[in-house]
Amino acid sequence: MEYILHLFILICFYTLLSQSLNLSAGFTGLISLAHAGFYGIGAYTTAILSTQFGFSFWLNIPLAMFISGAIAFIVSLIALRTVEDYFIICTLGIQVILFSIMNNWMDLTRGPLGIPGIPSISLLGFSLDSKISFLLLSLFFVAIIWFVLRNISKSGFGKTLTAISEDEIYSQSIGKNVYLSKTVSFTLSAMFAAIPGTLYAHYISYIDPTSFTVAESIFVLSIVIIGGLGNLTGSFLAAAFLVLLPEALRFVGMPDSIAANMRQIIYGLILVVVMMTGKNGVKELFTSKAKRIA
Amino acid sequence: MQLLLNEILSFFSFLLIGFSFSLIYHSTRFFHIAHAIIITSGAYFVFFFTNKFSIPFPVSVTLSILATAIIGVACEILVYRQMRKRNVPALAYLIASIGLYVVLQNCISLFFGDDTKIINTAEVTVGHQVFDAYITTIQIITIVVSIALFVAVNLFLHYTATGKSIRAVASNPELCNIYGISSNKIILIAFGIGSALAATAGILSAMDTNMTPTFGFNLLLYGVVAMIIGGVGSTRGLVAGALLIASAQHLAAYYIDTKWMDAVTYIILILFLIWKPLGFSGKRLKKVEV
Repeated sequence: MEYILHLFILICFYTLLSQSLNLSAGFTGLISLAHAGFYGIGAYTTAILSTQFGFSFWLNIPLAMFISGAIAFIVSLIALRTVEDYFIICTLGIQVILFSIMNNWMDLTRGPLGIPGIPSISLLGFSLDSKISFLLLSLFFVAIIWFVLRNISKSGFGKTLTAISEDEIYSQSIGKNVYLSKTVSFTLSAMFAAIPGTLYAHYISYIDPTSFTVAESIFVLSIVIIGGLGNLTGSFLAAAFLVLLPEALRFVGMPDSIAANMRQIIYGLILVVVMMTGKNGVKELFTSKAKRIA
Repeated sequence: MQLLLNEILSFFSFLLIGFSFSLIYHSTRFFHIAHAIIITSGAYFVFFFTNKFSIPFPVSVTLSILATAIIGVACEILVYRQMRKRNVPALAYLIASIGLYVVLQNCISLFFGDDTKIINTAEVTVGHQVFDAYITTIQIITIVVSIALFVAVNLFLHYTATGKSIRAVASNPELCNIYGISSNKIILIAFGIGSALAATAGILSAMDTNMTPTFGFNLLLYGVVAMIIGGVGSTRGLVAGALLIASAQHLAAYYIDTKWMDAVTYIILILFLIWKPLGFSGKRLKKVEV
C-alpha cells in the first residue's frame, strides 16, 4: 500500500514537471532540454534553505520559484536568440552547466555527496510524514497548476503563444511581441518546474545531482511529446503510463535490472514512432487528425 | 608540455567527431543525436568481438567499423528516410534521433551492463617520452589515424565524383534531384562514411581511456559545439572550433579544476551564440536568426 502511494506521488511529480514543460514546449514550441535543471534548482534551493536556515515549506515554494524563474529569465535572454534545433542544443548546454554546478560547487551543494536531512513539511502544526497526506498535498498542487495552465492556454496570452508556435513571423506582423511572450512562457515554465523540485526535496529528504541529469530532461520531454504537445490531459496520462510501466513489466516477470532499461527502450521507441508519423502525441496515432508540431 | 600534449589529443578526437557529425549534418540539415551511440557502439563492438570470439584485434576493429556503419545507415533507412517521405517538420528529426539514442543506448546497457569497460590491447606500456611529456602508443596512433582520415575524407569530398555529389546535396538537395543525383543515395553514403569515422573515433577514445554506455554522448556534444563554433559548413572553422574547445578545456583543467571542463565548454558555446551566432566563418544560416 505504501508503495502504491509512493507511485502515485511520483505520478504527481511527473505530471507537474511535464505540464510545466508543456507550457513552453507545447504551447509556445520552445522544446527545452533544460527542464530537469530547473527542477533541480527548485530542489536545491529548498534543500539549502531548509537545512541551513530552517525555512519552512511555505516559504521555500515561492523562493524556489523565484530563483528558478530568475535563472530561467537570464537563460532565456541568451537561449531565445536561437530557434529550432539550435535552441534545443542551447538548452542542452544550459542543462549540462546547471548539472555541473550542482555536481561541482562543493561549498554550496556538497556536490555528489548530496544534501541529507531535509525536514518534512508541517502544515498548521501537523507534520505531513505519512505518504497519504503527502499525496493529498501533491494532488493539491497538481490541481492548482493544471487549473492555472488551462486558464493560460485559454487566455489571450495563451492564444498568442499558440500563434507563435504556428507561425512566428506572422504573429510578429500582427503586432504581437514574440520575444517577450517567449521569455514569459519560458520563465513561467521554469517557475512551475521548481514546485515539484521543492516537493521532491521535502518528500525524499535527501537530494543529489543524479536526479537532475540530461537523461531526466529527455524523460520529461518524452512525457510531453508522448502525451501530445499542448495537451495537459495527455501529459498526465503519459506521466502515469511511464511511471507505472516498470511496475507492469515487473508484474509480467521481468527482473528489476532489465525493467529499467526496457522502460527507456519502450519510451524511446514510442518517441521515434510518434515523430516518424508526424503526429502530435500517441492519441493522434489512432485518429485521423494530423495536427503538426512546430 | 603534458598539458599541450593532452590538448592536442582531445583536439584530434573532437575534430574527428565534429567532422563525422558535420558530414551528416550538411547533407540532412538536422542534428543526428543518435550519432552519440554510433561512437559508443564502435567501441563496444570491438570489445565484443575481441573478448567473446577472440578474433584478432585488427580484424575485429575492421568488423566493428563496418557493423557500426551499418547501424548508422539503418537509422537513416528505417527512420529518417520514412520521415522525409512524410515531410514532417524539421524539429521532429531531432526528437526522433533523441528517441533513437535512448533506445540504442539502453540496448547496449542491457547487453553489456552499465559498468566501465576497458578494451584490453596486448600490453600496457609506460609510454614514450617526448621532451618531458609521456605519450602512449595508442595516443600516437590516435593522432596519426585522425590526421590521415581527416585528410583522406576531405580529399574524397573535393576530388571524387561521389564526394562532390555529397557537397552538392549539402548545398541544394532539390537541385541535385533535378540534375539526376539521387539525394537519398548520397545521404546514405554520408551516413555510412560519417558513422565509420565516428566509430573509429569512439574506438580510439575508448582504447585511450575506458568506456561506459554513455561515453559517446559527451564526446558527440564536444564535436557539435566545435562545429557550431566553427560555423556550419566550414572545415577550417571546424578545425579552429575543435582547437578552441580543446585548449579551453585543458586550460580550465589546469588552472581551475578538471571537474569544470564541461561547464567551460558550454559557456564558450553560449558566448558564441550571443556574440557570434554564425561561428568563426560567419556563413549565414537561416536557422540561427529568424
